[in-house]
Amino acid sequence: MFVYEKKLQYPVRIKNCNPKLASVIISQYGGPDGELGASLRYLSQRYSMPYPELKGLLTDIGTEELGHLEMVGTLVHQLTRNLNTEQIKTAGFDTYFVDHTTGIYPQFASGYPWSASTMQVTGDVIADLTEDMAADGAMVKRQHGSPLVCAGMAGKALAEMADAPGLLRPGGAGGDERGGCGVSGIKTVG
Amino acid sequence: MNSDNGTTPRPCGDACGTMPSCAPLAVPYVPFQQQGSQKYGQADALANGTLFPGLNLPFHLKVDASALPDNHSTQLQAMLFVVAELGMYLDTHKDDAEAFQLFRQYAQLAKEGKQRYEEMHGPLTQLSAGQDAAYRWLDDPWPWDFRQDGGMN
Repeated sequence: MFVYEKKLQYPVRIKNCNPKLASVIISQYGGPDGELGASLRYLSQRYSMPYPELKGLLTDIGTEELGHLEMVGTLVHQLTRNLNTEQIKTAGFDTYFVDHTTGIYPQFASGYPWSASTMQVTGDVIADLTEDMAADGAMVKRQHGSPLVCAGMAGKALAEMADAPGLLRPGGAGGDERGGCGVSGIKTVG
Repeated sequence: MNSDNGTTPRPCGDACGTMPSCAPLAVPYVPFQQQGSQKYGQADALANGTLFPGLNLPFHLKVDASALPDNHSTQLQAMLFVVAELGMYLDTHKDDAEAFQLFRQYAQLAKEGKQRYEEMHGPLTQLSAGQDAAYRWLDDPWPWDFRQDGGMN
């Protein structure tokens, strides 16, 4: 049973829209290494886990991943607020918009819809835990509690892309001195 | 752990885990986090995305907890984050008495923090919506709404 808490795990406040960034971050929502896959992977694997600490851990991590999913959805939502006609035509976002407008759809950055083929549940404890580590790009780096844009490879790719133009930065009041969109409350963990 | 983040390898330091004894050859392992691991304070934990310095391997961005807004919302988020982190740690370290004591303290703090938050900003759960004179569950903002003041969302 799940009960909704009407709050985010970590504050997200994005002052300025950025449809181009949204079209990349959507992969962290429904991409091959995104939060939807992460939550379903953990929450589905737990049934065949033989040990209480693993039943508990996969339940707790999978639940937290749902919180991450909500934060990433919030990111994309706020990055695509109040777009004007020109912004809708932004290369990369235009193809998303024609199908989903500014709704939040679980898809890869390439547009491929989220797929259960990006995850596995074998019923074998070692195989499943190994899959979890691979999926996270390495759980050691992943820090299962990281607040945002965190799942391994996707997080890294996003950080590399976003860090260059100075679009993402942790904390801060939003707004970017270089004229881009400010993103407040984002952190990336590789 | 590695040269990327500038930490010097120490023999079984706080950033190093333990291995199963008699581990078979040619099987990949992730070392267990050790009992009694060092912990951040709640604001640093929320800002770093982990309660444990030994698990903190930042990728690019420097983190500064003071950049987080200091309000009821963020304080509650920080307390609940510590509860979540300690909870997952205890899932695999249930005999760590010190960690469990801290977990109990933070669980109580978070419970009180939720009550304070709900008195000011409305119900966090539908269950607590039943304690108000009017039905406030639908009141804005929802967590994904943009808020200039950065309140709970």
